[in-house]
Amino acid sequence: MTSQTETSPTALRIEPGMAERDPSTFLRRRGRVEFALSLATPIIFVLAWEFASRMGWMDKRFFPAPTNIFDSAVNMYQTGLLEKDLIASTLRILAGFALGVVSGLIAALALGLSRKTRAALEPFLSALYTVPKLALLPLLLLIFGLGEFPKVLLVAMTVFFQVWISCMEAILTIPETYKEAARSFGAKGWSMFRHVTWPALLPQLFINMRISIGIAVLVIVGVEFVQASEGIGYRIWHSWSLFQANRMYVGICVVAIMGYVFGYAVRWVGIWALPWTRARTKV
Amino acid sequence: MHGTASSAPKIEIRGVAKQYHSARTVQALSKVDLTIADGEFVCLLGPSGCGKSTILRMLARLHKPSDGEIIINTAGGRVTPTAMVFQDYAVFPWKTIEQNVRFGLEMAGVPMPEANERTHRWLKKMGLSDFAKNYPPTLSGGMQQRVSIARALATEPEILLMDEPFAALDAQHRRIMQEELLQLWQEDRRTVVFVTHSIEEAILLGDRIVVMSARPGRIMAEFNVPFARPRSPEIRTDPHFAQLEQEIWNMLRDEVERAYGEGGHK
Ligand SMILES: Nc1ncnc2c1ncn2[C@@H]1O[C@H](COP(=O)(O)OP(=O)(O)OP(=O)(O)O)[C@@H](O)[C@H]1O
Ligand SMILES: [Mg+2]
Repeated sequence: MTSQTETSPTALRIEPGMAERDPSTFLRRRGRVEFALSLATPIIFVLAWEFASRMGWMDKRFFPAPTNIFDSAVNMYQTGLLEKDLIASTLRILAGFALGVVSGLIAALALGLSRKTRAALEPFLSALYTVPKLALLPLLLLIFGLGEFPKVLLVAMTVFFQVWISCMEAILTIPETYKEAARSFGAKGWSMFRHVTWPALLPQLFINMRISIGIAVLVIVGVEFVQASEGIGYRIWHSWSLFQANRMYVGICVVAIMGYVFGYAVRWVGIWALPWTRARTKV
Repeated sequence: MHGTASSAPKIEIRGVAKQYHSARTVQALSKVDLTIADGEFVCLLGPSGCGKSTILRMLARLHKPSDGEIIINTAGGRVTPTAMVFQDYAVFPWKTIEQNVRFGLEMAGVPMPEANERTHRWLKKMGLSDFAKNYPPTLSGGMQQRVSIARALATEPEILLMDEPFAALDAQHRRIMQEELLQLWQEDRRTVVFVTHSIEEAILLGDRIVVMSARPGRIMAEFNVPFARPRSPEIRTDPHFAQLEQEIWNMLRDEVERAYGEGGHK
């Protein structure tokens, strides 16, 4: 204890706060505040940029004002260019993502549920995991030609490892007590899978799908830099080489928005599919 | 030579020992012999870590003995003759309370309408009807324990294995559940193996009390509970009750001290 200060008896009062007295209003207000904050950050950022650009604080050749970028975007939309690029990239991302998630999940189950398969394949797959996937692009282009398939495959390979590793770990770390409880009632094989393994694995799957879809966007942009005649990545690279900074920024913004939208879509599906993870109280 | 032809024992545990091999080898049970008759209510008492849960796990066929054998005589025709109430509840967090209780019935292949009816009957009995659609994390420990009890009892097993099923309940609820179990059991005498730390609970419920030594567990003594069936909770006030309680405690005290004093050596 430190030196004693003068104390006098005090009554500590513990009573309902705003959240307890009127939970519904509290939750609504908190929701509104959080929503406003989430909008405020990008808006302030854009406004600051616009201001700095107009004041001539930044080189307009490299940092055009947001209003100019927006004009450019409208123009690209009217000519159909934006739509074409957006569709091309989205299809590649979704196809690669789906292929990667499904194959990653299959591998996770095969390795997570069988010691023998794990012994046979885990070291091999782990070694492959560390190979940078983009480095394989030239090889894939050689093997599969310049079409869509090598691009989709590259996305799928990236997603595959992410999903495989995390889902396999999720299966291996399911608490013994749940498995024992299920077994004690006679569950095995398919019923064990349906009642324990699958639901215990789902939260990890969704977390990793959310991470993976972001990575899929990154990869496709990289691929399109190198080899494509349409797509957002192609547009960014191409605009840069033609010194069209406005268009380049349109591409960058579109990529950011795509990543955001895809990530949220996965998250919402996850919230819908995993009712027990939102069982916790809000206040 | 075991028993007469008319009533073969329900459970025979013969010279069973159990070691666990993990980071280090733990001798959980040394050598246990125990015979349990059909319809008997046996209570296991013993210091923490003496292998009570281990015995139940082997009876539920979750673990196998390291030595010796266990014979369970069943009527057959079931997926599993046992149902277990776990010490740590082990209710599934991804299932609603209702789905948790129905789980055992589903596994046993009970047809849907009957499974639903039984689920709701047991939810009601355990005072959980209002929480049927909730998920376990929103329930108190005692409530989760009741879910675990309902899940096991709803399957109406031949052998009921209960691992400190009332430990998480408050004193009042515990008493109610004890009385409820007493009554349920007296209606249709099933074989029950019941682990508890409460001597009082063991005397109130059991036909026979098996007292185990500190780890490695072995059976030190067995006490037949002299009170007639059907029993009422009033026997708590009987002088013989206190006498038996004292007698068992005298036996247990040294073991409990040994279990704690030992601090993990040998
Ligand atoms: N799965 C396991 N792996 C390794 N050791 C175990 C395992 N289960 C139990 N043990 C060990 O076996 C011994 C007996 O455990 P058990 O759970 O049967 O005790 P218990 O009598 O039920 O104790 P409590 O009254 O505290 O529940 C303990 O020393 C414990 O550490
Ligand atoms: Mg135990």
